[in-house]
Amino acid sequence: MARMKFLCDADRCIECNACVTACKNEHDVPWGINRRRVVTINDGKPGERSVSMACMHCTDAPCAAVCPVDCFYTTADAVVLHSKDLCIGCGYCFYACPFGAPQYPRVGNFGSRGKMDKCTFCAAGPEADSTEIEYAKYGANRLAEGKLPLCAEMCSTKSLLAGDGEIIAAIYKERVTQRGYGSGAWGWQTAYRETITV
Amino acid sequence: MPDTTRTAMNRRNFLRAVTGASTVAAATAATALNPGEAHAYDPGEEESGPRYQETDHVKAFYRVNGYETLKK
Repeated sequence: MARMKFLCDADRCIECNACVTACKNEHDVPWGINRRRVVTINDGKPGERSVSMACMHCTDAPCAAVCPVDCFYTTADAVVLHSKDLCIGCGYCFYACPFGAPQYPRVGNFGSRGKMDKCTFCAAGPEADSTEIEYAKYGANRLAEGKLPLCAEMCSTKSLLAGDGEIIAAIYKERVTQRGYGSGAWGWQTAYRETITV
Repeated sequence: MPDTTRTAMNRRNFLRAVTGASTVAAATAATALNPGEAHAYDPGEEESGPRYQETDHVKAFYRVNGYETLKK
């Protein structure tokens, strides 16, 4: 059975934030919540790197381990989803997540933040597929429509990969063996020169 | 005087009865509220089943992203 995974090729990410915008638009994500965001390190310096981050759908998800109401579940596609009907907005999952994926609609203390929201790998939630109620709570269910997450499909530099873990790992491995040093993008070595260690 | 003694005894009996009843009620409630072993939320086979399909759309995504691989 295929295991769904995200993989961001940091050598290709140009911090355009198209993945962030695509996600917000596709799922009608409310103000104040970003299911995906781009993190840049060494911004403006040689060796700068950007990486698009969201829920990584961990195999042994720490969010699920700490949830006091056990609202998380893993689908047969290895996508970690949650039930907003059970979520009490305690915020424990936010502290447990190494990627900062869980988001809350309001700023507040225990229980006043509202229901947790996070990337669903475009697989929505426990409601019936592609229904209005499912869309309102969790967003679009692209996986059920035979598509992949829009953030990856929209990526102009083909940096963000999503899909069957084995296939995208093979694609990334091939890229790395072909390009070796740097991104392989035109002008990379002119811009960063040979002396820059990456 | 005898009336006072009887009243005091009645009150004592009443308090004993109330205390006993409270203890029994608390024990019953504790048993009823015991959650037992925790289980993760299970939306059922239908909703947690596989959704991924390798459609032409998905294959096109893999092809476009892995064009270096396909060049060989």
